[in-house]
Amino acid sequence: MQHAPAAELQTTTGMDHRKLLMWLFLGSECLFFGSLIATYLLYRNKTEEIGIGPIPSDLYDIPFTSVSSFVLLMSSVTMVLALAAIQRGDRRGTQAWLLATALLGMSFLAGQAFEFTEFYRQGLSLDTNLFGTTFYVLTGFHGAHVSIGVLILLSLFVMTLRGRLTPANSINVELIGLYWHFVDVVWIVIFTLIYLVQT
Amino acid sequence: MAGATIGERPGTLRDALRDVRDQTAGYSGIWSWITTVDHKRIGIMYGVTAFVFFLAGGIEALVIRLQLATPNGGVVNADQFNQLFTMHGTTMIFLVVMPLSAAFFNLLVPLMIGARDVAFPRLNAFSYWVFLGAGIFMNVSFFTGGNIFQGELGAPGAGWFGYAPLTLNQFSPGHGIDYWAFGLLILGIASMASGFNFIVTIINMRAPGMTFFRMPLFIWMTLVTSFLIIFAMPIITVALFQVLADRLFGANFFNAELGGTPLLWQHMFWLFGHPEVYILILPAMGIVSEVFATFARKPLFGYPFVVFSGVAIGLMSWGVWAHHMYTTGLGSVANSAFGFTTLLIAIPTGIKIFNWIATLWGGSISLKTPLLFAVGFLAMFVIGGLTGVMHSMVPSDYQQQDTYFVVAHLHQVLLGGALFGLFSGVYYWFPKFTGRLLNEKWGQLHFWLMFIGFNVTFQPMMISGMLGMPRRISTYSEGLGWEFWNMLSTVGAFLIAVSVLVFMYNVVISLRSKERAGDDPWDGRTLEWAIPSPPPVYNFAEIPQVKELDDFWHTKYVENEQGQLVRVVAGAAEQAEEAEDDAHHDIHMPSPSYFPIIVASGFPFIAFGFMYDFALLPVGAVVMLVGLYGWALEPATE
Amino acid sequence: MAALLLLALAVLFVGCSAFGGDQNTFAPEGDVAKKQLEVFYWALWPAVVVLILVTGALLYAVIRFRRRSDDDPIPKQVHGNFRLEIAWTIAPTIVLLALAVPMIAAIIDLGGDPDADALHVNVTAQQFSWLFEYPSLTDAEGTPLRAKVDELLIPVDREIVVHLESVDVNHSFWVPKLFGKLDAIPGRTNDLKFNATSPGTFSGQCAEFCGIGHANMKFTIIALEEPEFQVWCEEQLALEPGAPVCQR
Repeated sequence: MQHAPAAELQTTTGMDHRKLLMWLFLGSECLFFGSLIATYLLYRNKTEEIGIGPIPSDLYDIPFTSVSSFVLLMSSVTMVLALAAIQRGDRRGTQAWLLATALLGMSFLAGQAFEFTEFYRQGLSLDTNLFGTTFYVLTGFHGAHVSIGVLILLSLFVMTLRGRLTPANSINVELIGLYWHFVDVVWIVIFTLIYLVQT
Repeated sequence: MAGATIGERPGTLRDALRDVRDQTAGYSGIWSWITTVDHKRIGIMYGVTAFVFFLAGGIEALVIRLQLATPNGGVVNADQFNQLFTMHGTTMIFLVVMPLSAAFFNLLVPLMIGARDVAFPRLNAFSYWVFLGAGIFMNVSFFTGGNIFQGELGAPGAGWFGYAPLTLNQFSPGHGIDYWAFGLLILGIASMASGFNFIVTIINMRAPGMTFFRMPLFIWMTLVTSFLIIFAMPIITVALFQVLADRLFGANFFNAELGGTPLLWQHMFWLFGHPEVYILILPAMGIVSEVFATFARKPLFGYPFVVFSGVAIGLMSWGVWAHHMYTTGLGSVANSAFGFTTLLIAIPTGIKIFNWIATLWGGSISLKTPLLFAVGFLAMFVIGGLTGVMHSMVPSDYQQQDTYFVVAHLHQVLLGGALFGLFSGVYYWFPKFTGRLLNEKWGQLHFWLMFIGFNVTFQPMMISGMLGMPRRISTYSEGLGWEFWNMLSTVGAFLIAVSVLVFMYNVVISLRSKERAGDDPWDGRTLEWAIPSPPPVYNFAEIPQVKELDDFWHTKYVENEQGQLVRVVAGAAEQAEEAEDDAHHDIHMPSPSYFPIIVASGFPFIAFGFMYDFALLPVGAVVMLVGLYGWALEPATE
Repeated sequence: MAALLLLALAVLFVGCSAFGGDQNTFAPEGDVAKKQLEVFYWALWPAVVVLILVTGALLYAVIRFRRRSDDDPIPKQVHGNFRLEIAWTIAPTIVLLALAVPMIAAIIDLGGDPDADALHVNVTAQQFSWLFEYPSLTDAEGTPLRAKVDELLIPVDREIVVHLESVDVNHSFWVPKLFGKLDAIPGRTNDLKFNATSPGTFSGQCAEFCGIGHANMKFTIIALEEPEFQVWCEEQLALEPGAPVCQR
């Protein structure tokens, strides 16, 4: 029987549904973080004008935050290595790099926890002023994203221990990889706009 | 390959269909609905639930109209009145029109693109359960948000738009606003999940040959709407988090004393809110586009123009938000700019209207109820669009802003527009999913009552608005010239209520009727009419091959020598298709799952935890984690 | 039918200037409200024309092309007409641009700088009343004149500049016969100018939902002839007649 020419026309991207979903989700997340960052920038000079409570230059410890930013950046590298490992069927490598990524993520979170306590000790809490409000909410939501990422990475690590993660379902690692890189990129934006560029 | 008979060896179509039927035969009873991942069942649940909320929102509207029927009304007090209009708006937008649209997305998207289900069936079920939970959660606030034992109702009372700082603790004590904010947050999750789902489904799962420009217009509008949802919802999500941070943890986002600006809320709310308006209307536009084509027996006039104007509306909806804020003192430059963009957005809307009329022009129009509602939609939407243009005229809007003129306008668009379009869809597709047509006589009565009721209710509001009656006032004094118009509006509202009762009666008698609708009662054009009514669980025995727009229509009609369209002998086309069958068939239908409802049930715990007792937070977290891990580890198909 | 209805409404709109109460926007008594009503008509009449044309075409199509029997032939399958579509893309564009030009001119006109001899009034909105203060009308000690709560007195035919603030939630300052709305928003001052072209009492009310007392957050503006206003000013400030502060 003759083939309908229709059959050859593109009616799908050929991309895995889940991967397409992840890209859309990340697109949506851009507006989420965009709104939070915009709020921070809108309010950035207000606290100094009002004169209540600490302002960014009183508290920021740029060298410290640079180090923890670097740690988070490095976790993107280990994430890439984990994906490469699973795709070539290297189970040990996958385990090692997944765990490394999770650990680097946890180090970043520990740095953030330290930073928060330090700021709090120096008199900045959520209700002190607009700086406290916008800073904690923005970086807090980013931290929550990292935490969820760490949780998923650890879950995948457990799956590799049980041998449930194979090159055939390496898509799982690819998905968390996309998410993880996105969260990293968001941090670079936050670090640049909020820590480095102070007016 | 030709001549291979069906059923000779394993792996043929007949075997595959039998396997699916065996597998799904046991799916009945309540439990099967709770665990269902079938897009058709989820669509029906969306529709029925949204209708229940529609009744609730309608009753709220009736009480509002009773209170305002006469000056110094004494039906409810100011506090109750504020709760009623807040819940009426919130309910109608988020719990009625959006989920009714979602019902149609669910029912139709896979059928119209020739797929067996959506891309993520369990995520789809999850969306529904989250929506249901959030709807109940919000409405429970009437009883739990205040001290009910002292006769106090506790629903949110700061308007569906919830302008800060009225939503902050010092001005809105009690838990009403918390219910509202958490409810909208949770609903946002449901909307976004279904938005992602439909985009992936439409982009990735179209039947062979169904290119983007062979998709039915309804699918295009679903796609645009879904994109608007996934990009607009995060903005309101952040704004709601901010208001909750202020309320629950003493943050200062909207605290003017520390330099916060309450106007930020308005910007974020309307940056979400204007795309939201198109989220509400675009699905109805998609529905009437299908209805006009079918009932005029003509293809949609200027299909590419209608598609592109829909996309243009979607894009432009991001650049008009401040027309809700002309009176906030943004300045002449901003007002001019937003006035200008708002005028421009009327252009693609106008194109659509002209193309719909041109579709009817020269057709062979069957004046059945679906078409009546679609024509009603068009007529009322034109009025809504034109009053919209009048509002975009900034200086004139200074007078109309926040008056009943705006109330008239938004109902022309959302009730006369969106809801009429959705009712058109209900009458049109009811036979597809129930196997029975809605009764035509009662349907016509429903339409005319609703149409007249609508006009009697809302057109007088244009006048009461111009006579200086502000929105959201719980009472007014006599002597301002508003009495007659308000009484008229109240009478009209009850006419609409009667029409809804007629509709409910119609559904009951039609479902009980023995008469079967058949597969294609309206002489449809799109793929869903090619399959049985109601459709089998796998939708298409064989995934169709699409050769052009309105493919199903072209399998029914061919041109004769005179260039006239004549009907193909029934069944010939289908037989030709069946003969082609020889591929290896293996139909995988997704298995039922109870994990979506488990994960969904975690959200209210979290919300209650923040509102009442942090001890509930870990409970919610554990419920959700258990559900999520079960979901992730459960095989998607048996 | 809808067209007839709207035509009836349009007639009503015109008729409304004759009746209607104290907040009737069709009966403006100040230059700002008059301008705003003018802009309303610029938009109304084209809208009525478009409505009649579109609804007429719709009704004509539905009636003229209705299916008379099930044996009616299948109509010609017209897929579109590029020229026609371009035409009805361009036509509304022209109409809308034609509206945009005077609209922007009117916005700029209404937003222009106030007159040099304008009378300035500080208006403070609070749940659920309005406070008025005249910063330039001060007594011997320099204390500015305050009007009664919810009652602002102004001289007729003189430009009034309002500096609007809120101390709690959002409100909106509105006297339909004199001027359209301007919101009072905590943390910012919004400015509005208007005048009254004839003496009288004009009622206004809060137009931004502000809570439980929103419906009763009413006020009046009383426009007096210039000399009467000066007398009132002098009495309030306990000044000699002809005191310079109260002069125009």
